[in-house]
Amino acid sequence: MDQSLTKNEFIGHEEEQAQVAKRSWLFSRPDHKTGIVSWLTTVDHKRIGFLYGVSALFFFLVGGVEALIIRTQLAVPNNDFISAQTYNEMFTMHATTMIFLSVMPLSAAFFNYIMPLQIGARDVAFPRLNGFAFWVFLAGAVVLNLGFFVKSGLPDMGWFGYAPLTSTAFSSEFAGDMSTDMWIMGLQLLGVSSVVGSLNFIVTIINMRAPGLTMMRLPVFTWMTLFTAFLIILAFPAITIALVEVMMDRNFGTHFFEVSGGGLPILWQHLFWVFGHPEVYILILPAMGIISEVLPTFSRKPLFGYPIVVFSGAVIGLLGFGVWSHHMFTTGMGTVATAAFTLATMAIAVPTGVKIFNWIGTLWKGHLMMRTPMMFALGFVWMFMMGGFSGIMHSAAPADAQQQDSYFVVAHFHYVLIGGSIFALLAGIHYWFPLMFGRIVSEFWGKLSFWVIFVGFNVTFFPLHFVGLNGMPRRTFTYDGNMGWNSVNMIATIGAFLLGIGIAIYFAVMIYTYFKGEKAKQDPWDGRTLEWALPHPPPVHNFDVTPKVHARDAFWYEKHNRAEVDAEKAKQAAEDEAHGGIHMPSNSWFPIFTAASMLLGAIFFCNHNFVGASVGLVLTFVGAWMWAVEGPGGYHLHPTRQDGDKAASKH
Amino acid sequence: MRSSVHPDQPRRSIWQFLAVALIPLLSGGWISGHQSTFDTKGPVAETQLDVFYVTLWVSLTIFVIVGAVLAYATLKFKARSSADEHAEPPPQGHGNPLVELSLIAASILALVVIAVPTLRAIWYTYDVPEDQKDIAYEVTAVGYQWWFKFEYSREMTPQPFGGEAPLITANELVIPAGRPVRVNLRTVDVIHSFWVPKLAGKVDMIPNRGNHLWLQADEPGYFWGQCAEFCGESHAVMRFRVIALAEDDFAAWLENQKLPARSVEAPAGAEIATPLPEFGPFRTNQPGWSPEFDADPLGNWEAWQEIPASGEEDAALIAEGRRAFVENRCAGCHVVRGHEGMGNIGPDLTHFGARTTVAAGLLENTPENLYRWITEPGEVKPGNFMYHSRIVPPTGMVTMPGYTTRDPATGERAPSPGDIEVTPEEGHALVAYLKSLK
Repeated sequence: MDQSLTKNEFIGHEEEQAQVAKRSWLFSRPDHKTGIVSWLTTVDHKRIGFLYGVSALFFFLVGGVEALIIRTQLAVPNNDFISAQTYNEMFTMHATTMIFLSVMPLSAAFFNYIMPLQIGARDVAFPRLNGFAFWVFLAGAVVLNLGFFVKSGLPDMGWFGYAPLTSTAFSSEFAGDMSTDMWIMGLQLLGVSSVVGSLNFIVTIINMRAPGLTMMRLPVFTWMTLFTAFLIILAFPAITIALVEVMMDRNFGTHFFEVSGGGLPILWQHLFWVFGHPEVYILILPAMGIISEVLPTFSRKPLFGYPIVVFSGAVIGLLGFGVWSHHMFTTGMGTVATAAFTLATMAIAVPTGVKIFNWIGTLWKGHLMMRTPMMFALGFVWMFMMGGFSGIMHSAAPADAQQQDSYFVVAHFHYVLIGGSIFALLAGIHYWFPLMFGRIVSEFWGKLSFWVIFVGFNVTFFPLHFVGLNGMPRRTFTYDGNMGWNSVNMIATIGAFLLGIGIAIYFAVMIYTYFKGEKAKQDPWDGRTLEWALPHPPPVHNFDVTPKVHARDAFWYEKHNRAEVDAEKAKQAAEDEAHGGIHMPSNSWFPIFTAASMLLGAIFFCNHNFVGASVGLVLTFVGAWMWAVEGPGGYHLHPTRQDGDKAASKH
Repeated sequence: MRSSVHPDQPRRSIWQFLAVALIPLLSGGWISGHQSTFDTKGPVAETQLDVFYVTLWVSLTIFVIVGAVLAYATLKFKARSSADEHAEPPPQGHGNPLVELSLIAASILALVVIAVPTLRAIWYTYDVPEDQKDIAYEVTAVGYQWWFKFEYSREMTPQPFGGEAPLITANELVIPAGRPVRVNLRTVDVIHSFWVPKLAGKVDMIPNRGNHLWLQADEPGYFWGQCAEFCGESHAVMRFRVIALAEDDFAAWLENQKLPARSVEAPAGAEIATPLPEFGPFRTNQPGWSPEFDADPLGNWEAWQEIPASGEEDAALIAEGRRAFVENRCAGCHVVRGHEGMGNIGPDLTHFGARTTVAAGLLENTPENLYRWITEPGEVKPGNFMYHSRIVPPTGMVTMPGYTTRDPATGERAPSPGDIEVTPEEGHALVAYLKSLK
């Protein structure tokens, strides 16, 4: 009954394959091409990328509304717009949402959608695992946000969850309070999603590059995907273990962080930041990758100093594991440790600075096309530079003793995360929009949204540097009117709403363009990397013919050496066809089934219902097992044959 | 005793003066508040500020240079027209290793400029300098949700049931000016952080860990401080003050603090003067400061220390307050040395009347603010463990379910037989009693 998938099956014998005994419904794989089922069971990296993107943008708006609630409360001193409890929930969820549910999945959306196209692959290495990563992400997002709908309320101990605030003695207002448990389980699920997704990307990049695409020809965005994926698989185990420990403390009476039992709250901080600092680079490296694509394209010349940009990305990733305690300069580490982490932190400024130099070098002597993606990219370089400099100020531990946990830090990391990550991601959406949806965003509205966002962002966050140095601590739901903080806070609140308007314009324009925008012509930006060789939007199998790569900017080379490439393509097409066409994976129910089982188990666990949690766990294993034994599925496409897709066959 | 010049007295350069002049100019005076890190009043904060200036100037210099090049490149090489955009692509250069390597070298050099003073300052700010250890004063600060306890381990006081123990105060740390003070940092519950921006950067108070910091106020003064690590619901309103006094004043202050609580004897048959003042209604999160106090905080602190002349106080009301203090079980958590009370989970109230603030540095210690704190603590400091108050509609009675009377299953703070109840009259009496504890 069980047919092993041998190479024979691939090589042009569809007629024979058609005779393979039909499997029972449970073990056969769905092959819906349209409709809701096709989305729930999808294994197509582009669809999964789209799902990531849409969910991330939804949570970006949720996190944005939380930010506006925070800023409204702080607009005037002694405000009582929201209670202390609600304020604490808002800043906890704002950070958690923005980091784990917006920036990370939005980066993952690009990893999914763009990276396989850039390396000339037909999909990621493990398509079902890719679907699973997305559904587990969604499960984690649901668990984190359950608090909106249940009596416990949202988690309220900060996204950093410093022990012992997470212990039952301090976090549970009443016996049934499960807000902290939801935070723990939500993050655990997100960790599973990130690690699974990252392993997939690593295998894909290492194994599935098109012929000729050597590592040192990889587009920089793909390089940064690779580094980010490595950071994720190395950094997440630390938080996973820390979360397991705090979960054990809360549920099973262990004493990892439980002070009364001799636990060490400082241990949580070390574990958290060993994850937390690489996490910062997990958020910014993809952004740097996007910028390293956008700037060369719109300067119409290659990235300046490609090897150094790539290498500095690796160095940032590596050093990122050796600087975690700069988040803990005020925990009394002692002089030597403080000095060591100070120097390591300063060292990380070098590879970061190098990237800035190389981006400027890329612009130098180019023909800069000042389109919206370029505007966002240039905005990124400016804002990231400012965030970088305030970062250097933090690295000096004695200065940081005054800045840590003040609004100066808030200003710093918003420059890095909004001015950095978000600007780059917005640039990326604009840049790849024509490729993904075949429509191009209006320049006028695009630039307008950029300027409103840019101005709003700076009006919000630049003044916060001053209020921080003027002694205003973060995570405070109120302040007194005699501290000299009033005007700054009012300005920041006005800026936040301006930023909100800018984001609203941006999304309104995107949604309009999606439905009614101008049709994009092929390769609208004169692109340099392989994804621009594809029709807009790309077909399900991506490349009709496996591309062959001759140079770093593969598509640029193609465009400038048409004759050579066309001859090669014809030859490759015949070769592909001789292998029986393009093999495509079938859909599967089990990624979403397994993820839903995990969601079930997690929710029961939050509610301290261990029977239900066990049921969820068993179902998770059932799902994984079914996944393993369901049929191999798959079908072939023949895009280069005269009768094209009609010849698609299934086995 | 006073050491006027400490060894690392920084020499202010012209650049630093420029910075001081420039930043307020740019920011419209945004950096001159009660917790300004620029308006330093002691060597530790000053050293930290100097390091900040080094990082600021190096960063600004690089920013100006790199920014100028970036701006130039953007303006110079931008396509002016659609034709320009579609012109022949520029030369496809891949970089220049020499330029890149020299830029890397330059960045490293700039970081060394920052690193050297930083390392010096790390060692200097960590602990009291060796040659000043013998003149340093030592106190212990303990963080509670959401207030600070200060323990003067060198100053022993007689205790209600015999023996001696260190002097304990709360929320207002009085220190000698002009000499180093080593503050040991402890906590009884979650992580807090001790931060008096004008005197020193923060250091955290972490459970199961002994931390410390040192600071020095060069001149007598009144300084604002605040908890700087998120510590739960009322983190924002966990504040404190540091009062630095000249050596003689400090000694006199200690003398008075060591005494048991002041008693005001009511003559037999004394009546409570009526009418009692009208306080309230209060808004949630209403401010508790006044410009009059801020105009001369140290002067006001000194005035607050003065013991009222006899006859100025309503002795009968004070006696009634002392009774209410016991009757409403305040004494279970607070101690008033020499009077009733032996609880140690709330702030020591022995010399409460001499403190300028109430509710952990949040409200000026005026009768109205104190009345508000006693009758509506939940509205002043949400989630606080003293009690949570509600007004029961028909009677106007203020009920005070204790922290422990929350229903553990539902979280509701329903009224229960164990509730503490304070009538408005008792509230006024408690205010009078507590204010009398100079």
